[in-house]
Amino acid sequence: MSLYMSTAPHVRSPQNTRSLMGDVLIALAPTTIAGIYFFGVSAAIVVALATASAILFEYLWQKLTHKTIRIGDLSAAVTGLLVGLNLPPTAPWWLPIIGSGLAIILVKQLFGGIGDNFVNPALAARGILLASWPVRMTAFVLPTCFSGADATTSATVLAGYEASYMDMFLGNIPGCIGEVCKAAILLGFLYMLVRGVITWRIPVTFLAVVFVFSAILGNDPLQAILCGGVMLGAVFMATDYTTSPMSAKGQFIYAAGCGIIVVIIRNFCNYPEGVTYAILVMNIVTPLLDKYVKPRLYGRLKEEKANG
Amino acid sequence: MVGVTMFACIFAFLLHHIPHHIERQVLCLPKYSFKGGVHPLHSQHEGKLPTRNAPIRDFVSDSVVIPMSMHLGAPSKPCVSKGDHVKIGQLIGEPVGGLGLPVHASISGEVTAVEPRLITGAGPVMCVCIQNDFADEWVDGIQGYGNVETVDPALIVPAIKAAGICGMGGASFPAHVKLTLPEGKTCDTIILNGAECETFLTADYRLMIEEPRRVVDGLRAEMRALGVKRGVIAIEDNKMEAIESMRKAAAGREGVEIAVLRTKYPQGGEKQLIHAVTGRQVPSGKLPIEVHTIVTNVATAAAIADAVIDGKPLISRITTVTGKVVNPSNLRVRIGTVVADMIGECGGYSEEAAKIVMGGGMTGVCTANADIPIAKANGGIVVYNEKDAKSVDEEPCIRCARCVQACPMGLDPYKLKHLCDAGNLEGAKANHVMDCILCGCCSYACPSRRWLTAAFKNTKDAIAAAARRK
Repeated sequence: MSLYMSTAPHVRSPQNTRSLMGDVLIALAPTTIAGIYFFGVSAAIVVALATASAILFEYLWQKLTHKTIRIGDLSAAVTGLLVGLNLPPTAPWWLPIIGSGLAIILVKQLFGGIGDNFVNPALAARGILLASWPVRMTAFVLPTCFSGADATTSATVLAGYEASYMDMFLGNIPGCIGEVCKAAILLGFLYMLVRGVITWRIPVTFLAVVFVFSAILGNDPLQAILCGGVMLGAVFMATDYTTSPMSAKGQFIYAAGCGIIVVIIRNFCNYPEGVTYAILVMNIVTPLLDKYVKPRLYGRLKEEKANG
Repeated sequence: MVGVTMFACIFAFLLHHIPHHIERQVLCLPKYSFKGGVHPLHSQHEGKLPTRNAPIRDFVSDSVVIPMSMHLGAPSKPCVSKGDHVKIGQLIGEPVGGLGLPVHASISGEVTAVEPRLITGAGPVMCVCIQNDFADEWVDGIQGYGNVETVDPALIVPAIKAAGICGMGGASFPAHVKLTLPEGKTCDTIILNGAECETFLTADYRLMIEEPRRVVDGLRAEMRALGVKRGVIAIEDNKMEAIESMRKAAAGREGVEIAVLRTKYPQGGEKQLIHAVTGRQVPSGKLPIEVHTIVTNVATAAAIADAVIDGKPLISRITTVTGKVVNPSNLRVRIGTVVADMIGECGGYSEEAAKIVMGGGMTGVCTANADIPIAKANGGIVVYNEKDAKSVDEEPCIRCARCVQACPMGLDPYKLKHLCDAGNLEGAKANHVMDCILCGCCSYACPSRRWLTAAFKNTKDAIAAAARRK
């Protein structure tokens, strides 16, 4: 009889990287479907191109550099899908492909692959695209909902478009494919909470800070969290494992920082939306938070307290 | 009306089935619990289902192999030789050094060999092998004090020492040393560890249900030996039957109380248990007595009761045999019973065995074959099949923070793992690797299947070895 020998523990959690990423994809499904419902076939093409090219880029890179092929962990699919959801439905076919290429190769693989990127790949790609093709990246249209009508160009709510709270909540507004339908995003959030994929800390703190800080500055707080990419950013982007802090305290600080920067950009910069840059800045602060904000160690209370 | 009732039913159902991580996040119940931890095999009742209703069954084997090293401290010196006839309870190994313990014959019969044999987690150790003559003869002069409440407290610790009792929960620290207060230290609380948070094991649970009186007597003996006024028997809230049984047995006993703990691993870790029950934290690198607390296992307490009341040495223990065996059981076996005999008693393997673990799923130690004996601290044997035993490859860390949230000691396991893999002992020490209790929570929680606990164990061993060389 030959027996395996290994060190403890001998039982492992059923969650693995693949199952977690699969759960994120499932959580993104309502958002994707809502985006396609509002913006039609063009949105579906953008999302599909982004996702497929991200997986392809990851595969090719790992093949060419003789690394373990890790497309099976589904992280490239999540990145690609997020790149697609962060584009306007009018994006030409090459925009999602360049976006996914930047995300996977420049931001993720060049820094060491999964777990080693210092900023969120999808967001960094969006930031680069936004700086390179500002007009194409902000060519927003009114939802067509498969009515057959031609898409009408429109400003977003943040840039002056008037919409009711209900329209903003359900997604009947111009914007990026994935950011318009808040109901779908919240559904995905709930799913990830129940499945234990993420904790409530980052999304709830992020949104709460945006809400309160906007109110302090005299903006409509409800509109502040219902328009633009705040909800998508708080639930799906800021919660990226690799680029958010490890300790609970660090996560609160990180999320609060995101919220504050969003409101500052919206109010004091000549830029209507700032979620992308807010999260990217806090991504860069994360290593610092990990270094200085740590969980409390057991057994290192002050002497008198320990004896109490 | 119907709608309201239905809603209430659904709500009650959801409350009952609320996932643990949600409960932890939303309700944040700190009482009788600790920070961090995991719920291993939660969906399978911690793997305890096959044996939790199996009554303790006595099993006496044809032969035993009794190691001279079953406790922390120097191995005992064999004082019998091949061909000798020994009786149950007869001294066969003399204690050596301050942490030494006597070893007694667990069956009567002929000594067939005194030679080095392999035991769990160690190289060859001197063992005394005895062939059973089934005469079941006890050695002369076994005499106890009858009652733990009337015995002279000064006689209790010597009786425990003579019985060769060590911690039976796994640490195997000599009990009489634990119950001897160092100069200038005081103790106000003795905690009996009945948490049994480890997966698969039900030996302590069955003991508390079937023989609660022994447990309470043992606790009272410990309390009286040290003049301690408060004794707490701590049990997890998934063991209601044991809680009820212990409550009944403890009724009317001076200073004995039952603490109900939340079910979470490692609730039975000494430091976590002390924090949950008393709110105190043992300072880093110090013993529990630093916060005026002593923790012993319920099985140890039962052995102490036998030693004080009947004068009987520690010759048997209850061990859970489970996993891929035909008839998973809780066996009361003689110390030194060989694992293969116990598995045979449980009907043999139900599937081809691919891994045999001495202890539970989170902290157990693998054995290379089934020919090793049960020591005083072995509470379980778990047999795994090929599917569950197969080793998994490490994937890159995705920084998901699950290890940080799971660590009951507040460490940064992901960071420590990088330092340990790089062989940076100083860096690991500066990041408190020596505070790691090797509970396995980080490895369990890691979705990238990284061998965190293994790296910390190796690093701790290396640091300890370096310190010894100096």
